[in-house]
Amino acid sequence: MDVIGAPSDAEIVARVLGGDAEAFGFVIRRYEAGLLRFATRMLGSRDAAADAVAEGFMRAYRHLASCREPDRLRTWLYRIVTNRCKSHLARRSVGDVPLDEAPPVADPADGEAELERAEQLALVQRALTGLSPDKREAFVLKHVEGLSYEEMAAITGERIPTLKMRVHRAREALLKVLEDHT
Amino acid sequence: MNTIDPRIHQVLDGELPADALPAELRDATEAIRAAADLLAAPVPVRSLESRVMAEVHRPAPSLARRVTGWLATPHAITFRVRPVWSLAFAAAAAVLTLFYARDVGPQLGEHEGIAQFVGRFPDARSVHVVGTFNDWRPGTIALQDLDNDGVWTATVVLPAGTYEYMFVVDGERWVPDHLADRLVADDFGRENSVVIVRPVHR
Repeated sequence: MDVIGAPSDAEIVARVLGGDAEAFGFVIRRYEAGLLRFATRMLGSRDAAADAVAEGFMRAYRHLASCREPDRLRTWLYRIVTNRCKSHLARRSVGDVPLDEAPPVADPADGEAELERAEQLALVQRALTGLSPDKREAFVLKHVEGLSYEEMAAITGERIPTLKMRVHRAREALLKVLEDHT
Repeated sequence: MNTIDPRIHQVLDGELPADALPAELRDATEAIRAAADLLAAPVPVRSLESRVMAEVHRPAPSLARRVTGWLATPHAITFRVRPVWSLAFAAAAAVLTLFYARDVGPQLGEHEGIAQFVGRFPDARSVHVVGTFNDWRPGTIALQDLDNDGVWTATVVLPAGTYEYMFVVDGERWVPDHLADRLVADDFGRENSVVIVRPVHR
């Protein structure tokens, strides 16, 4: 991501590797929103997502010198956070359902449309959590993060036909859940 | 699996223009897009910058501290062993156990032997063995069923000889052991079991 006047990813990486640790703050500010959203959708829990992304940033900082293509820093960060999410999912026991997966509590101050939207989001998140981690990852990268299959392949290390198949299966499973609730 | 029309996937993958889709398939496409829009909404969480930068500025732990931390942290250790080696290990363990058990077992006198009592009493709460070796006194030699499979056992060291015995189930029911070496009639018209204890050291 390059914004006019803002340093490019490659420039930030060079500054951090040159000893300017503060420059890593640019990386965090630039990518944390997207990574937190991705991790939240993967893990179904904002707290677990914050832990996974924080761990991911720390790992990225420590191993920044191994980032071979600094101008593709975003892809590299997503790969790290994806692995942190998989690690969290592997550690989580089968019966461990994150607390904030529960549907949002209705706030009388919210409008009816807002409440309906919150309920829909809870339904979709539950349906997403019901998918296998591989399918969930593929769907979120494709439809939530808006990545191309080529970018997804670079992040996950999977072949494009495999990713396409996972996205297709995820769509089919989600549609079934959504149809069952309408 | 709820397979959907492949054209829906083609539109969502950008391989087919949306207006090429028949009207009856557009709802599914819109449902997926709407779900993705909901999930794409920003997640309201506190920025991680201060948390991460605090870690960035923290001095790296010394080598000794890292080694200590590694040693103090639980690690899963996985062994990949061929089944043939598993069997070999099991056989070795069995042999060692036998040797060990022989070393620590009861020291038998020259004229003593071992009697093993086994009875199947699935619903029993307690089983004792009484006989000529304990003057038919209940409560002195208890059988055990450690795995709760209904099979009660006791191993007793006795002077070599021939003994009559019975089981006492739940402290009140006297039952002969039909698996005994033999059965003999007692003076009360019942049958007693007979066990022959042979000396271990000849």
